[in-house]
Amino acid sequence: MKITKEIIERIEGEAALEVEWEDEKIAFAKLKFFNYRGIEEILRKRPLYDALAFTPRVCGICSHSHALACVRAIEACFEHAQEAVSLSQKARDIREIALNAEKIHNHIKWYFFSVLPELEKIDNPSYRGEAFKKPRWFLAQHAITETLKMGAIFSGQWPHGSFVAPGGVTCAPVSLDVLNARGILEKVIAFCEETLFGFSLEEFTGFDSAVQVMASPSALSWGIDTMIRHEFDRLGRSHDRFLALGDSFLYEGALKSAKTTVLPADIKYVSESLAHTFFENPTEGYTYSKTAMYKKSFFEVGPMARMMVAKEGLIRDFHRRFKDAALTRVTARVVECAHLLVQTKRLLEDLDIHEVSLIPPKRNVHELSAEGVGVVEAPRGSLIHTINVRHGVIEHYDIITPTVWNLGNGERDNLSVVQKALVGLDSLTKTDFIVKSFDVCSVCTTQ
Amino acid sequence: MKPNRKSTVIWIQGITCNGNSHSFLNYSNMALFAASFEMLYHPLLFTAHTLESLLEKPEAFDFLIVEGAFTKEARYLQRFGRSFPEILEPLANKARFIVCVGSCASFGGMFRLRDPQKISGALFNAKEKGGYWEEKSNVVNIPGCPAHPRWIAETMMALREEKTVLLDECLRPKEIFAYLAHHGCLRNEYFEWKVDCKQLGEKEGCMFYEHGCLGPNTHANCNKILWNDISSKTRAGSPCLGCTEFDFPRRALYETHKNMSLPQTPYGISKRAYYTLAGVAKSFKIERLEKKLIDEDH
Ligand code: SF4
Ligand code: SF4
Repeated sequence: MKITKEIIERIEGEAALEVEWEDEKIAFAKLKFFNYRGIEEILRKRPLYDALAFTPRVCGICSHSHALACVRAIEACFEHAQEAVSLSQKARDIREIALNAEKIHNHIKWYFFSVLPELEKIDNPSYRGEAFKKPRWFLAQHAITETLKMGAIFSGQWPHGSFVAPGGVTCAPVSLDVLNARGILEKVIAFCEETLFGFSLEEFTGFDSAVQVMASPSALSWGIDTMIRHEFDRLGRSHDRFLALGDSFLYEGALKSAKTTVLPADIKYVSESLAHTFFENPTEGYTYSKTAMYKKSFFEVGPMARMMVAKEGLIRDFHRRFKDAALTRVTARVVECAHLLVQTKRLLEDLDIHEVSLIPPKRNVHELSAEGVGVVEAPRGSLIHTINVRHGVIEHYDIITPTVWNLGNGERDNLSVVQKALVGLDSLTKTDFIVKSFDVCSVCTTQ
Repeated sequence: MKPNRKSTVIWIQGITCNGNSHSFLNYSNMALFAASFEMLYHPLLFTAHTLESLLEKPEAFDFLIVEGAFTKEARYLQRFGRSFPEILEPLANKARFIVCVGSCASFGGMFRLRDPQKISGALFNAKEKGGYWEEKSNVVNIPGCPAHPRWIAETMMALREEKTVLLDECLRPKEIFAYLAHHGCLRNEYFEWKVDCKQLGEKEGCMFYEHGCLGPNTHANCNKILWNDISSKTRAGSPCLGCTEFDFPRRALYETHKNMSLPQTPYGISKRAYYTLAGVAKSFKIERLEKKLIDEDH
C-alpha cells in the first residue's frame, strides 16, 4: 500500500494530510493539525469574565461567535445557580445582527478569496492568484469591509470586539446609528446581487431549483459550472447526516437530519474524544484536533447542515440532485449568505432601541459556582463552550469548534465527516478542494 | 522619497489566531496599498509564491510581516514540517524591515501565557527587553489585539517612502501610540467629573472606576481613527482591555484594580495631581451628568 503526505494550505493556516492509497484510490486518510495554542489551559484559574476577552481570540475570523458562545455559557452558569438571566429583545437582536455580520462576511470572503481562486487554479494550472490584483478581488474586499463596518456599529470592532456581557449587550445605539447600519447593509446587498448571485435578493431567496440559479452569469453560476465540470457534483459526499445544535432564524430548536428526515437533537448526546491526539498519547497521537460525535456517530455541521435541517428549498433541490457533494456544500454557504442578508435587513428595520441593552445578573460573580453550556451557530457550524466555575474562577473550560465536528479523525470502521468525503477519490487536486469545501479553519480546529 | 517600484512583502505567522490578517483585510484603501506593495506570500490568500519556494532560495525583499508569538520550540509551532526558526531566520536575514503586527508578535501577547519562558515577542518578552532576539535594528512593533489595519498599512507606506517614523521605547510608531485609547472617547466628560457608569449597556458614565477601563493607561489612537472606520470598544460600551500594551492580557479585565479603594492613576499623571483633582471633581454633583444623555420624557 502506498502512503503519501500532503500539506493543505490556505485554510486559515495549514494541515497535513496523510493518505493511504489502494488501486490508485484513497482507502483511508488522516488530517493532522499541529498548532495548538492551549487556550483552554490558559483560561484555567482565571476570573470568569476574562473568558469574554480571551475566547474571541481563539479565532480571527469568528471572534464574535466565540464571544457569544462564551457569554451564553456564563449566563447558563448563572441560571444553574438559580439566578435567571433574561435578555431584552433588543439585546437578542443586536447579538444576532453582529453574529450575522460575521457570517455574511465569512461567506463572501470564503467564496471570493478561497473557493474562486482554488477553482480557477483547478481550471487553469498556470493561474497565480488575484489577491491585491483583480478588480473582482477588490470589490469583494470592499464588501467584506462594509459588512463588518455595519456589524461594528453594534460590536465596536471586528475582529475581537467585546460587545456582550451577561444579561445583554454593552452598546446603546441611537436610531440614527441603526439607519446608518441599514444604509451600509444595502451596499453589501447590492454587491451580492450584482456579483455573487446575479439576481435580486428577493428573486434569489425565492428559488427552489438549481436550474434557476444558472440562468444568470454570476460568480456563483461560474463556480457551480466549474465544479460540475470537475465532477464536484459527485465527489466529496460524506455521511449525509447533519446537525445544527444552536438556534437560528431558519428553524426552531436544535435539529439533526439523516438525509432529508429532520428530527430534534439534544446537546446531551454530544461527546468529545481525544482519540489520535497528542493529548491522549504524545508518541502515538498525530494531531491536536479533538473529535466530536453525536450518539457516537459523526455528523456534519455548517451552512449545508443548517439549510438541510431548515428544509431550505433551493439547497434541498441541490441535495436531491447532487446529495451532500462538495458542490452542495459550497452552494449552501452562498445561499445562507442570501438568507442572512434578508434576516439582518429585517432585524435592523424592526430594532427597538428604546428597550434596555443589558439586565445584569444580581448575584456577585465572585460567589458564582456552577456549570454552564453555551451554543452558537457560528459561520462554520455548531460551536459549544462549556464552563465550570467555582467562586467566580474558571475551573475548567472546554471548547468544541465546528471544524472539530467536520475535520476530526475517526476510525477505519467509523470514518469522520472529512474522511468519508475523501475515501474513493483518485486525485490529489480533487482531494485538496474537497478538504477545503468544508471551509476549514485550522486555528479553530486546535485552539 | 517615493521609490519607483513596488515594495515586496512576505507575511508569515507565529503562534496566532489570524486576527491581524483579518484585521488587515478590513483596510478601506486597499487599492492604494496594492499600488505600492506586492504581496509575495500571505498564508491565508492565494498569492503568486509558495512559502517553500521563497525559503528554497531566499532573495532580498522589503517587508517581512510577522503575526503571532515567537518560539524556538518545535513542540509549540510547526508549519510545513518546519520549526518557526527554520521559516523565520532565512527570511529575516533578507528583509529590509521586519514589522511585528499584533501584541503577540510584539510582546508575546495572550499565547505567551502558556509558557512565558519559551514564547515571546520578537524583541520583548512582555516588558522585558530580549524576546526571540536580543537585538535587531530593523524591527517595528505594531501591537494591538489585533492591530488596526491603518496602523499596519500606513506604517508600511511611511517606511517605504522613507518618512521619519519615530518609535517609542517599545518600538511602536509614536504617531499612533503617543495617543491614549482614552483620547476621543465619548465618555470623557464623565471621566473629568468622576461619574461612574453604574452598569454596562448605558450611554452614560465612565468605565474607569468600576469596570476596568484601561483607556487612560493604554497607548493607541482607537478613539481618534476608530475601528472599522466607525466605532471602538468604549463607543460600544465596553471597557478598553489595554490590548496594545506589553502586559496584555492582564488579570480580571472587567474589574478596576484598586489600591485602598482608589483606581490606578492615568498614564503619566502623579497620584497627588490625580487624586487632588478627582477629590474636587467628585465633591460637585453635576446634575446634567447624573441624568440620561437623551431625555425621552422632555
Ligand atoms: S470609558 Fe475609558 S476611555 Fe472612556 S473616558 Fe472613561 S476611562 Fe476614558
Ligand atoms: S480600545 Fe483598548 S482594547 Fe480596544 S483595541 Fe483600542 S487599545 Fe485595544
